Amino acid sequence: MPKTIAVTGGKGGTGKSTISTLLAIGLSKEYRVLLVDADADCPNLHIILKAKRKLLSEVKQTIPKWDFSKCIKCGKCSQVCKENAIVFVKGKYPIFVKEQCIGCNACRIICPTKAIGKAEQKIGAIYFSEINSLNLSNLHLISSEMLITYEETSPIVNALKKEVSKFKDKYDFVIIDTAAGTHCNVISALLGVDFALAVTEPTPLGAHDLSLILSLTKKLNIPAFVLLNKANMAKSKAEEIKSIATQFNTEIVSEIPYDKKIFEAYSSANLEKMPESLYKPLIDFIKKK
Amino acid sequence: MKTITVSSGKGGVGKSSITAIIALYLARKQNKQIVYADCDVDAPNAHILLNLKEKDFYEKEEIFASEKATLIAEKCIHCRKCVSEDICNFNAISWNKEKNIPEFNKYLCEGCGSCSLICPAKAIVLKKVKNATLRIAKTSYGFPLVTAQLEIGESGSGKIVTEVRKRAEKLAEKNKADLILIDGAPGIGCPVIASIQGTDYIVAVTEPTPAALHDLSRLITLAKYFQAKTGIIINKYDLNLKMTEKIETYAKEQNAPLLAKIPYDERFIKSLVWQDEILLQTLSETYVPDILKAIKSIQSFSI
Ligand code: SF4
Ligand code: SF4
Ligand code: SF4
Ligand code: SF4
Repeated sequence: MPKTIAVTGGKGGTGKSTISTLLAIGLSKEYRVLLVDADADCPNLHIILKAKRKLLSEVKQTIPKWDFSKCIKCGKCSQVCKENAIVFVKGKYPIFVKEQCIGCNACRIICPTKAIGKAEQKIGAIYFSEINSLNLSNLHLISSEMLITYEETSPIVNALKKEVSKFKDKYDFVIIDTAAGTHCNVISALLGVDFALAVTEPTPLGAHDLSLILSLTKKLNIPAFVLLNKANMAKSKAEEIKSIATQFNTEIVSEIPYDKKIFEAYSSANLEKMPESLYKPLIDFIKKK
Repeated sequence: MKTITVSSGKGGVGKSSITAIIALYLARKQNKQIVYADCDVDAPNAHILLNLKEKDFYEKEEIFASEKATLIAEKCIHCRKCVSEDICNFNAISWNKEKNIPEFNKYLCEGCGSCSLICPAKAIVLKKVKNATLRIAKTSYGFPLVTAQLEIGESGSGKIVTEVRKRAEKLAEKNKADLILIDGAPGIGCPVIASIQGTDYIVAVTEPTPAALHDLSRLITLAKYFQAKTGIIINKYDLNLKMTEKIETYAKEQNAPLLAKIPYDERFIKSLVWQDEILLQTLSETYVPDILKAIKSIQSFSI
């Protein structure tokens, strides 16, 4: 069984993707590592790692399809739809607003004349990559991407996790990079991991968002550790981060200084060139865990 | 009255700071009546940027925007219809063999109502759940802020964004405001769609990294879909000039004009860390006039 670690952060831009990629690169020198990009809204890791993505599977959703020859214009389907995806005007056939539909079954179940059947719509895709370009043969990436204009990321993250569970036993570590925030898709990504790393920075926003994400992991019963990125940015605020960690019965396990080199390596997609000394303590901590 | 949303595919590119300085400038220098809506309901932070204290909030409201399935166990006749295929598409129901009843996973339930419709014994009801607290504050800059915080572990960010916007619109009508300025959510999923739908103008903030460009392109595609006028701001542009060039080319191709290039400016971080109002004010005077000018001259959109 591999160890599954989620890298999360509450706020965007704290360096979550950078950290999870560095962690994966570092661990892959000794172990087989599967990196998972669960930020289906805006997947980035394949770009950071310059990886070619191969389509693994498409994520589809079942949506309703009307057979108006059977429809008696009763309007019940519109009444039960919680997403306002069915517009009904008396005397007319219902109008389906596809973009609003979350693909449940309520309209199909309620229709008295079985006028509603099923159709499929593509909502996203799952990709697999080998990181040949960087000569990291022990590191594989699996990523998800939601189709633009589609709303709900969690079904895609759930499909992604299903794919991951199929071949995760080939790996020693599974590292999941979650989306920003604390909503549905982050929850889906967090459920079932061994522990979470919350990446934060020493600013009032960082502190605020850290307490949000730590309340979430606490609620989900997932052990969480704090990683303070850009640690040297404001020393006194770092204390505040420390006290939040203590409040949630956890600790700052590693600090990474703010370094222009990191941004440069990141912005030119050359993370593998980052000096390992910058993140070695983190790797050591994960190995021990 | 107009609505402008400041958005960014990727988080952390400076979206909230830029929203804040635009608000400051419009309120202080142009005497505009604005309503500030923080629609980043997952991790709202405008109130921190604007240095608000608990006492500044004069209104508080709990939002019950979603529902979850719950079982009335005494009524269940154990028919298992609710766990059969084609009912719950969200894997939220499992069968508890020992108790011989269904079990609902509240984190996965979308409240769609399918299970409750199929249940012959009316044993499943949808219960409203509190998924956010909405708050309104008076800021020292003269404009009000509408903000909401998603309840931890809850979903439905999109619906909460819609609530925030509704409240902001009401307030704007009451105050006869010129503008609603929305700090949008990061990403392109449910909360973002709710925050850009029906706005008059979108300011897309990005930074010169391949990842941010990728996210920007997703956001622009979405904006086009909603036929919203969009302009781009490249923040920290001088950190990677090659990448900045790439973004500029992309902007041209997409017919989404470049409004401004903002250099890496440490004062942004400082204003954030120390919640320094004077610094924020200086920043707004440094960068906002050009942004507004660009929006007006290129797209003849005046605020
Ligand atoms: S499947 Fe569900 S969300 Fe879609 S239209 Fe039917 S009731 Fe509405
Ligand atoms: S519930 Fe069925 S019959 Fe009634 S309006 Fe909808 S599709 Fe037509
Ligand atoms: S309400 Fe919908 S999502 Fe929730 S358990 Fe019932 S069928 Fe599943
Ligand atoms: S459908 Fe209703 S009665 Fe049947 S098992 Fe489910 S809850 Fe019980």
